[in-house]
Amino acid sequence: MRKHFALGAVAAMVVAILPVAVSSASFGAVKASTATSVKDFGGIAGLVTACKKEGKLNVITLPRDWANYGEAMDLFSKAFGVKIFNDNPDGSSAYEIQTIKTAPASKQPDVVDVGVSVLDDAVGNDLFAEYRVATWNSIPNNWKDTLNAKYYGDYAGQIAIMYDTSIPLAPKSIKDLLKPEFKGLVAISGDPTQAQQALMSVFAASVANGGSTSNIQPGIDFFKQLKANGNFVPVNGNTANFAAGAYKVVLNWNFNGPGTVAAAKQLGKDVKFIIPSDAVLQGTPYMQAINKTAPNPACARLWEEFMYSQNKGKITSQLTSADLKLPGDKLFAAILGGQNIFITGGATPIEFPAMVAKKLNVAPPASITSYAGKMAAVTPSQDSQAAAKKILVAAWPNL
Amino acid sequence: MTSMKEATTRKSGGFSSLLKTLPLAPFSLVFIFFFCWPIFQIVKNSLDQGKGHYGLSAYRLMFTKPYMHAFATSLQLSFFSALTAGLIGAVVAFYVHRSSAGLKSTIAMLSGVLANSGGVPLAFMFIAAFGAQGGIVTILKKLGFDIYGAGFTLYSLTGLILVYSFFQIPLMVLVFTPALEGMRNEWREANNSLGGSNFQFIRWVLIPVLFPAFLASVLLLFASAFSAFATARALTGGSVGLVPLVIGSLIDGNVITDQANLGDALAVGMVVVSGVVMLFYGFSLRWARGR
Repeated sequence: MRKHFALGAVAAMVVAILPVAVSSASFGAVKASTATSVKDFGGIAGLVTACKKEGKLNVITLPRDWANYGEAMDLFSKAFGVKIFNDNPDGSSAYEIQTIKTAPASKQPDVVDVGVSVLDDAVGNDLFAEYRVATWNSIPNNWKDTLNAKYYGDYAGQIAIMYDTSIPLAPKSIKDLLKPEFKGLVAISGDPTQAQQALMSVFAASVANGGSTSNIQPGIDFFKQLKANGNFVPVNGNTANFAAGAYKVVLNWNFNGPGTVAAAKQLGKDVKFIIPSDAVLQGTPYMQAINKTAPNPACARLWEEFMYSQNKGKITSQLTSADLKLPGDKLFAAILGGQNIFITGGATPIEFPAMVAKKLNVAPPASITSYAGKMAAVTPSQDSQAAAKKILVAAWPNL
Repeated sequence: MTSMKEATTRKSGGFSSLLKTLPLAPFSLVFIFFFCWPIFQIVKNSLDQGKGHYGLSAYRLMFTKPYMHAFATSLQLSFFSALTAGLIGAVVAFYVHRSSAGLKSTIAMLSGVLANSGGVPLAFMFIAAFGAQGGIVTILKKLGFDIYGAGFTLYSLTGLILVYSFFQIPLMVLVFTPALEGMRNEWREANNSLGGSNFQFIRWVLIPVLFPAFLASVLLLFASAFSAFATARALTGGSVGLVPLVIGSLIDGNVITDQANLGDALAVGMVVVSGVVMLFYGFSLRWARGR
């Protein structure tokens, strides 16, 4: 282990020195790494040209079945001829920030998609570049950095219970999971001190057990109890562990439903998503941001324009070779925009209200589960998330 | 003896002694850059309270209950893992030592591979086999042994000890075999011809001769378990508090800006524990050679 570390460190040092010159390359008059809107490229066509020249995009911790990111990456890659490198698809938001801080220049992510709880750290360390996408005004003011445009919300979901239909009892609520029928079956998605989805799962458990979005303790107590009676499996609730049969029930974003159901079907398993009857936890939106030291600054910006595009259009499988010969701006207009891709993935895109007003939204998949009851959806504030993580760092290892 | 050696070195002159130490240069560089420098950095960062202030606040925090509990859990895991793997590994090594040359080299090769397995793939393997719905667990259940019903779970200290055995036992076989190679057949013959029983041979010859080497090997296993990270992380998702996992969550979690140096302080704590273990390791090695 130690040997590998040493070798890796040497390699990292060598790599770190080389590409500094490359990353600040400029395109004609435009310096992509400091461009703050598509206007700096003279429009989408200029941005597409600049990105095609780079030909690469480094993304990070994007699971393919997460909010339909698989389709988004395939479409972007095929349409613009860009090779996408996806580092550690199952990683956490914290891992994304840590990578920006420590990775060598060429291994830096161009763009990140993070939970709000890491924003203070990232902005405090000045890790993000200023950028306003063309649809900036459609993003609600409370979910973007109105002042400096360093980050902007992209989509949100609700915490659902996913379960394998082969288990003896179908769960209806989070409290149900304490029943002996769920022995050795229940997981969450990672470590709540690191992963936003896991943190929200503990918040949901708290709400279900007399806590609130500003008091996470009942949630911690719930998992303590769940662990004590042997129901809790502390593995990461990802596809690989599901395939291995490590867990059969997991707290998960509802927008992971369509992707997960399809992935499970390939394993010959049938899974279902339900919103628990004792907690409707609406997540804070995830945030997009461009890395200040992005190795592919033009593609980073084109990716954001694409993810915030409200266009209706073709998906990867519908793109023809004639489409690919279109000029950049026509091509961009011909493909399905990221905000609509989120809808097809079952998530609620941040620009949804604006899209509905303009009738630009596509229909969500029939398989998506959202809450239809009377309970009001709740969302923990950014401050209470930070406070909760401070408690969790000490409490979770002693569960 | 020592003084004579020093005298000859001095006589042979500065240049040739420089030539003699030159081959050590690459090692020294690696040692300085990948051992001394990181330790210096960790110590420095652990004292850094931000905004140019230095102090012991991180250490004060380290000595509070949750973090001391993490050290206790880590030490407990390392101790039991080293002891069980050490005992089993020693017995395996003993029987391998007495077997044919072909089997010996096969086991040595296998141990070399297995001792270096670990991390997420190993954890995944055990989840698939010994998880609540794992293959082996299901088979045992069909045979009437419900190990989870009996209170076993892979995602606990016991589970971690089981998983660590997978690389700890082969490691023990590797490091303990050389000590067995030093055993002489004549000792047993002498014992037998003087009328000693097998038990007496084991009690009065084998154990005293091998004990220092055994102790040294177990200490090595202890250090290996103490520092393991990825396997435990994948198996427990941070819900069993081991020091490396807590450090990982402090670095990765990165939520608590006023505790940024706590991870470094915990790392210094680990360095101290490892230092003590290595010190004992050195003593027991010297003890083993001394006889």
